[in-house]
Amino acid sequence: MINIIELSKSFNRKPALSDVSLTIESGQIYGLLGPNGAGKTTLIRILNQILTADHGYIQVDGKLLNNNHWKDFGYLPEERGLYKSMCVFDMLLFLACLRGLTKNDARTSVNYWLDKFDISSWSKTKIESLSKGMAQKVQFIAAVVHQPTYLILDEPLSGFDPINVDLILNELKTMKSEGKTIILSTHNMKSVEEICDHVALLHKSKVIVEDKVLSLREMTAKGEFTVRFSGNMIALANALWTDFELMDTKEFGDNRFEIVVKQRGEKSFDDLANNLMGVLKLESIEKRLPTMQEVFLVRIAKEEVENEE
Amino acid sequence: MKNSWLIASREFMDRWNSRSYQWMLIIGPLVILLFTYFLLKFGDQGKRSLRVLIADPTDLFDNKITSNPTQSIKYAFYTSYLDFEEFRDGNRFKEFDAFVEINEKILNNKTVKLFYRERPSMEVKIKLKFELERRVEECMIEQFTNLGIDRYRQIKQPLNIDFLNVYDPKNQAENEKGWVGLFFGAIILFFIGLFGMTILRSTSKDKSNRVVEVLLASVRSTDLMLGKIIGIGISAFFQLLIWSFVIIIGLLIFKEYVFTDIFDPSKYEGLQYASEVKNEILANSNFARYNTFIDLIYHRINYTVMLPVFLFFFAASYFFYAAFFMAIGATAGSESDGQQFIIPIFCLLLLSFYAGFQTIYSPDSFLAQFFAYFPFTAAMVALINVSIGVTSSGIVQLILGFLFLLLNAFFFLWISARLFENGILNSGHRLTWKTVVQWLKKT
Repeated sequence: MINIIELSKSFNRKPALSDVSLTIESGQIYGLLGPNGAGKTTLIRILNQILTADHGYIQVDGKLLNNNHWKDFGYLPEERGLYKSMCVFDMLLFLACLRGLTKNDARTSVNYWLDKFDISSWSKTKIESLSKGMAQKVQFIAAVVHQPTYLILDEPLSGFDPINVDLILNELKTMKSEGKTIILSTHNMKSVEEICDHVALLHKSKVIVEDKVLSLREMTAKGEFTVRFSGNMIALANALWTDFELMDTKEFGDNRFEIVVKQRGEKSFDDLANNLMGVLKLESIEKRLPTMQEVFLVRIAKEEVENEE
Repeated sequence: MKNSWLIASREFMDRWNSRSYQWMLIIGPLVILLFTYFLLKFGDQGKRSLRVLIADPTDLFDNKITSNPTQSIKYAFYTSYLDFEEFRDGNRFKEFDAFVEINEKILNNKTVKLFYRERPSMEVKIKLKFELERRVEECMIEQFTNLGIDRYRQIKQPLNIDFLNVYDPKNQAENEKGWVGLFFGAIILFFIGLFGMTILRSTSKDKSNRVVEVLLASVRSTDLMLGKIIGIGISAFFQLLIWSFVIIIGLLIFKEYVFTDIFDPSKYEGLQYASEVKNEILANSNFARYNTFIDLIYHRINYTVMLPVFLFFFAASYFFYAAFFMAIGATAGSESDGQQFIIPIFCLLLLSFYAGFQTIYSPDSFLAQFFAYFPFTAAMVALINVSIGVTSSGIVQLILGFLFLLLNAFFFLWISARLFENGILNSGHRLTWKTVVQWLKKT
């Protein structure tokens, strides 16, 4: 478990992090979200001991974060960097040794990951000869080659094609199932929805909300439902009556529709189901949760308004 | 520290695998050897054999020159007056390359003029001068003394005046030896300049390709900095070793097989005289001066002291200067941005040469004493002092100078580490003194 306690950091008197406190449970995939300049990278750099905090501290499994934790952390920075003149194998071997593996263990691990990602044929290729996507894969392996307990990823999916995005996401899920803790900062909200258990939203150096992904989506939900049915729209209008407001309609042909309705007052999912049942031939009723993109925008907008007030 | 060694070995391998480094390993010493070869080969330019006409109107020489003349000089005698224009333009003198005018008062004024058509080589000049001197000497003995030639040569002693320092009566502090120290100092400065720029470029490159962020997540910034300095330092030292090895082998080959006559005058063609005569040649001729340099390099420098001192000062000076190059590389917004800060460092490197001259010509001056302790110039001054030969007070100065340099190296490495830590993740900015001061203050 990682406890971040009242962390503050400023550059040239401009705060990058203000009194940030977070708890990251072991075995979670934890998302750090926020607009550019919110302080995510600063927080990540402090977690990786690249920067030191002005105030506050970090505990890892109850112990103060120190140099002995280097071997337990893996890091994929946003701005990727490898030695261009080195070949893939030597580069990974060097980084694995820096993280505390013996040369033999490092060699075994590098071979394992190259095989796993099906890129063993690149091992003698110089980094400068790799395409951006290929270099990204190597950079990802560099972050995990020493089997870290905590993996910190800054924009891990940028630069990958959809196939490789899938590969990386699956790998992260596997690592999670192995009990590893993954902290990722991303602007890819779809992936946040897909893999993150918990997120913290940072804005202007502060944490404005921290919760489970589902809880956040539910909290931000506007009481909207998606209904699929067969029947006619007049019957629907009668059934909704004044309890629900029709927001959107899609027609699929053969009198099949998908509509979005919004509840009025205290009306619930059950009320909607009761109103529609027997009137229309229902295919599905689903509570509509906002996407993380919407959650993000709503929360930031709310914060801006509060700040102005 | 383990990580510093990992980084150092990577840096070393990076240099080792680089084409330019590999080429410099071979080309560098070969260029120096080639330069030395041409210096030795063509340093003594000029005609190597002469047909000399001796115009001796008073027949002083009696148509004789020496019983054992040099093969490369052929003499003929002309017992009438001859002026140089007649010699130059007269068809019957065309076969001669030079003519020697023996004037009537030669035994008093001891002056001889030699007119040549094509400049003779130094070697031929020396032989010619020697043989004419011998002959004039014989004539003088005949005319003015009752002594035999051998007896005269026993008595005849040149008047040597030695200018000795009252504090150094054994004349250990010879200027010419100081030049060897200056040469060794220049080697240090050359390698510091060359590899200092490598440090700067390597740091700027790590910054610009962002690999530094990956590294700093695994090592402390000071370990990274030290690793880079040590790795590049080892590659510099390795290059120096290879250069020294190749140059020493080359010079030995020159000595043993190529320029045997230059290195050993006893092998000089035609000069098959008794040993004391050879010594006299060495003492009196220009050739001796020519050979003094070789004598100096091969025999008169105490390398058992010189080499360890060289190595200690090389290492300490490298770390001292590396701290500056590293600080500039880490704090500059871009490689070109750092150039403006390089100029003062190179000026300080050049100051070492001034300190060197000051030490050679005025070793007791205040400036020379100051430069011995000034960390930017201490290596140069120390090497000159060692090459000249240090006295007991000089040893104290040498040790203090070294300790002071070492202390400064540590201090500036510490300063550099602070700048490195604060500046290494910043790029794209314009480096100003204000930023440097800010980063120095920041913890």
